[in-house]
Amino acid sequence: MKRSRFPLLIMGLVLLFFYLPIIILVINSFNASRFGSGWQGFSLIWYRRLLHEPEIWAAARNTLVIAVLVTIVSLILGTTSALALHRFAKSRLQRVHYTLIYTPLVVPEILMGISLLMGFVAAGVGLGLFTIFLAHVTFCISYVALVVLGRLQDFDFSVVEAAQDLGAGWWATARKVLLPMLAPGLAAGGLLAFTLSVDDFVITFFVAGPGATTLPIRVYSMIKHGATPLINALSTILLVLTFTIVLVSQRLSRSNILEGGV
Amino acid sequence: MKRRKIPSLPAAIQVLALAAVSIFAVGCKEKTAVLHVYTWADYIKPEIVARFEKDNACKVVIDTFDSNEAMYAKIKAGATGYDIITPTSYMVSLLQVQGMLQPLDKALLPNLVHVDPDYLKIAIDKTMDHSVPYMLTNTGIAYLKSKVKDFEPSWAMFDRADLKGRMVMLNDMRETIGGALKFLGYSLNSTSEDELAQARDIVLRWKKNLAKFENEQYKTGLASGEFLLVHGYSGDILQVQAENKDIAFAMPKEGGTISCDDLVITKTAKEVKLAHAFINLLHDPQVASQNSNFTRYLCPNKDAYSQLDESIRDNPGIFLAPELRAKCEILADLGADNAKWIKVWDEIKAAK
Repeated sequence: MKRSRFPLLIMGLVLLFFYLPIIILVINSFNASRFGSGWQGFSLIWYRRLLHEPEIWAAARNTLVIAVLVTIVSLILGTTSALALHRFAKSRLQRVHYTLIYTPLVVPEILMGISLLMGFVAAGVGLGLFTIFLAHVTFCISYVALVVLGRLQDFDFSVVEAAQDLGAGWWATARKVLLPMLAPGLAAGGLLAFTLSVDDFVITFFVAGPGATTLPIRVYSMIKHGATPLINALSTILLVLTFTIVLVSQRLSRSNILEGGV
Repeated sequence: MKRRKIPSLPAAIQVLALAAVSIFAVGCKEKTAVLHVYTWADYIKPEIVARFEKDNACKVVIDTFDSNEAMYAKIKAGATGYDIITPTSYMVSLLQVQGMLQPLDKALLPNLVHVDPDYLKIAIDKTMDHSVPYMLTNTGIAYLKSKVKDFEPSWAMFDRADLKGRMVMLNDMRETIGGALKFLGYSLNSTSEDELAQARDIVLRWKKNLAKFENEQYKTGLASGEFLLVHGYSGDILQVQAENKDIAFAMPKEGGTISCDDLVITKTAKEVKLAHAFINLLHDPQVASQNSNFTRYLCPNKDAYSQLDESIRDNPGIFLAPELRAKCEILADLGADNAKWIKVWDEIKAAK
């Protein structure tokens, strides 16, 4: 029997729906026209203008510094909480823990933003990059924990016990056994945390202090008053970076699997 | 068997958290005075900021917001650290009522003599006690000269059946219902339920001719010829005009909205002196004209007018004739009556 072409068609349409707007954005970033009202010739003017926008670069730097730190810290905290959740799943304490981890995923962002802001103000913490960092870690932990927990669900702990039977200390076990086997989960959780941190607008807007404008805040304000092609150019650069990172990480994870040979 | 690795990990976490904290702490250390300005993106010419930093041996940090309401929510919840903010004047009254602003020290603001007295007549804070007007924009009608036959500067254009489906009005209840109120000869800050009901019927009639209510894409649509006539802000339209010379802007003869973003100093401001100096500099005629030419909005500084670009200076849609200007109004904060407007706007949006 001939296979139906229908799923292929649906997949094509879905991909088109995903990527067409992005392609249009990339094309428009090379458009000389400011309002994208029509093709007015190929131009790198927006990229050149972007070079002379110190405020945008400062915002980009803020965003990246926060995202990297958030990724590291939420990976560690999220993974440890996933380990605890998995190991002591039956205890009442861990059930409460699970609920607490789960809550940030379902709480509306605006609520979280304003409550964090009020919390910081009440605690007398000066708003700034640090408060953004804390806020991002707060919700990123949950994503990391749940992704890693999913990985732990089909994890064979007898391997760990075998390692310890063979005389490996906890550090050797963690490094040589646990970490490599959890690596895909960690990578997924880390990428998720990084993306969420770079992307977040609502919560960030509320907890950002003076001098702590991040890229999303800047971009939102530019849409209202500024030049949109600069945003297209900036997005194109970010897209290239993102795709490079994804490609590299895919390469790495593939060779890891081969080496690990599990 | 116990897994001993778990209790040892928190140590590593502490080390990392400490590293993170110290990185941020170093980033926050400042020596020179810092003036924090909270404003819209690209709203102050960078060269002016650089000049102010040099003259006053200080640093200016600019942060941006994208809506008056979001900015208000944030400040209201207790966010501090901003010295100068540039809210729209209706929001200024709200901030003032809530006691979130400082009175201005006129002795530190000698340049206020340059502020256009004609504008102050219609302003909300006429004596500039706590706010100084910064940038004006008119809300009017823009159209394509070659495509719209017998254009007439009037709200009645939205009744033109030959432009059906090629017109856009702003997705903003204050602007659009306000236009209809002006068309009927009422104040656009009306809170009379009867007048609002009449305005609703007018907007419903116009709606049949409109492609949509929209706030951002109308500029692009006009530049590309998708729309022939749009209701929009003069600042936006001037920016698009640079690309499509066929676009013209006019203020309806029945009058319309003038909006103004004001400079205010927050109650919690730390650098009050510097903030005054900055506001004063922005009203230096030379600086004000450079700034207007950069943002394409009009700084109401009468001594700056002669140095403006022709496209702004000779534009009757921006420099309104006195009798037309007298018919225009500033959007005022409606307070509790806002609910009446929201109800009417919901009826308009819900109608088929």
